[in-house]
Amino acid sequence: MIQSLQASLVYEDHGKEIRACDAIDLEIRPGEFVGILGPSGSGKSSLLYLLSGLKNPTFGAVLFEGRDLGQMADDERSRLRMEAFGFVFQQPYLLGYLSALENVMLADPSRNLRQRALELLDLLGLSEKTGRLPHELSGGERQRVCVARALASRPRVIFADEPTAALDHANGVQVVQLLDAHRGDGALVMVTHDPTMLEGSDRIVHLAEGTIHGEETRQM
Amino acid sequence: MFGSPLNPLVYLVRNAAKSVPMVGVIALAVMLIAWIVALMNSIPDSVKAVYSYSQYSLGVTPRGDPAMTPKLVETFRNECPVPIERIIVCRGSSAVVRSIVGEWPFVVLAFNQDDMDYFLDKHFVTGIEGRKPTVGRPEALISEPVARNLRLKIGDVLLGPDKSDDYSPQEVRIVGIAKTSEWMMLTDLEYHKANHFPPIDVFLVLAKDRATQAELDDWALERFKGDRAKLFAYRELEESTNEMFATLYQILNVVIVTLVAVIALMIGMLMNIYQSQRLVEFGLLQCIGYARKVLLKRSLKEALWVTVAGWASGVLIAHAMLRIAYAVLMEPRAWALNTMDPKAFAYTLVVPVAIFAVGSFTVLNRFRKFDPVSIVERRLV
Repeated sequence: MIQSLQASLVYEDHGKEIRACDAIDLEIRPGEFVGILGPSGSGKSSLLYLLSGLKNPTFGAVLFEGRDLGQMADDERSRLRMEAFGFVFQQPYLLGYLSALENVMLADPSRNLRQRALELLDLLGLSEKTGRLPHELSGGERQRVCVARALASRPRVIFADEPTAALDHANGVQVVQLLDAHRGDGALVMVTHDPTMLEGSDRIVHLAEGTIHGEETRQM
Repeated sequence: MFGSPLNPLVYLVRNAAKSVPMVGVIALAVMLIAWIVALMNSIPDSVKAVYSYSQYSLGVTPRGDPAMTPKLVETFRNECPVPIERIIVCRGSSAVVRSIVGEWPFVVLAFNQDDMDYFLDKHFVTGIEGRKPTVGRPEALISEPVARNLRLKIGDVLLGPDKSDDYSPQEVRIVGIAKTSEWMMLTDLEYHKANHFPPIDVFLVLAKDRATQAELDDWALERFKGDRAKLFAYRELEESTNEMFATLYQILNVVIVTLVAVIALMIGMLMNIYQSQRLVEFGLLQCIGYARKVLLKRSLKEALWVTVAGWASGVLIAHAMLRIAYAVLMEPRAWALNTMDPKAFAYTLVVPVAIFAVGSFTVLNRFRKFDPVSIVERRLV
């Protein structure tokens, strides 16, 4: 479904060339849970941005169902991210002036997601807090709203960039379990430096210094 | 209430602490400009209102030789191509009225009883509180605007020996107030002839209506050019008033352009600050699939709402304030002030246009340089 073909992400930092990702070959298959594991600075997040079309590779290509993300116009790539991808980031980013329900409905404004959003918030244990503003929710609750937003449009791939980084262990485990449990047929690509968060994954890709150092198939 | 959570009004209403001050600044700027222009316009409007009576007559005085008057009258009677309804030979003396910018000269016309009746009728007098001046007596009839302007009532002295600008050798007391919107001060011709100097007959030439009066005035201004007659036509008054205020309006334009530039830059800076505070929002939305142009359009719609709301509020406040100013300051002195002055409100249009232009530039500039990944990577937060 997603193929990274020798994809590299290179940038300059104070005159020094940094290879955040270096000639990465990787395939994400439909429905699988892929964990990308590595220490800080190993290029995990950069790889996630390449796979999700948030960044264009400096060299190589990333294909989604055979289409080169780097060749798409901003509009087309944005539409793809909205319709086919879901995102959960390190921090529980929500719009502060919108309620939990409205934040979930942001997933796709072209569809009426109200009912779906209410169901998801209910499944995630937030049925009593749909009208609350983000500042009225705990950190764990906010991240669960972000999970609901990522799941709302029934994405084909969910990208989670260290979604547990801002949470305690128990809340972190719960968030990962919720993502895994409610993703349906969608694939889940999760970046983390904590191997305990990948216990339910199908495959773990080990990353170091911008390159893949090994893959570990867990269960299929 | 607003449909989509990203309806521009959702942000503006739920962040009233940010949007209301911006609307307020724009409203104040609009109000200030409307006020300045309307009050400025009130001066020439007042000039035209005070001397409005001259729309219905052409005043003629001889130059250098009082004996010219009968000859001039004959010339009118014989040569004027526009039908003349009446020629009133009368006398005049000077007085002053009060304006927003000081005292203005005004004429006290002295008529015989028959001409006075005609003149009152011609100037839409619907009634008289009190009575008309008696023949040969030091008495005056003034109109309502004059009474309000000079705060005079029946029994008060209009002209007198102690008044240098409103002089008469005897105290001329007000015996009547004419109900009309036209400004007028009238005394009896016999009294005037017996007490005022110089003894020069002047005359008014009156056509049937305003349209034919204008034709008559135009003919006379051309016919008597270089002649020994001074003509007082409404058209000349209008032209000289407009000319007099042309320079003032040029200065006003510079002031308004400067004010608009300052306000637009200030709002631009405010918008820049508010955009900076919303980088997380824009970054997040772009990352989850909102195209740059969709977000740009939304930001521009917000800017448009703010400017339109600010302008509309400013216009409403300005109108309300002008009504108050008219009721408290202007109307009691019979000064003109158009609370719905289209020119004043047209001047304010430049405010939303300039602010929207600066605001749009600010937003466009922000989005041009913006990298949404920097937000989710926490490089910018």
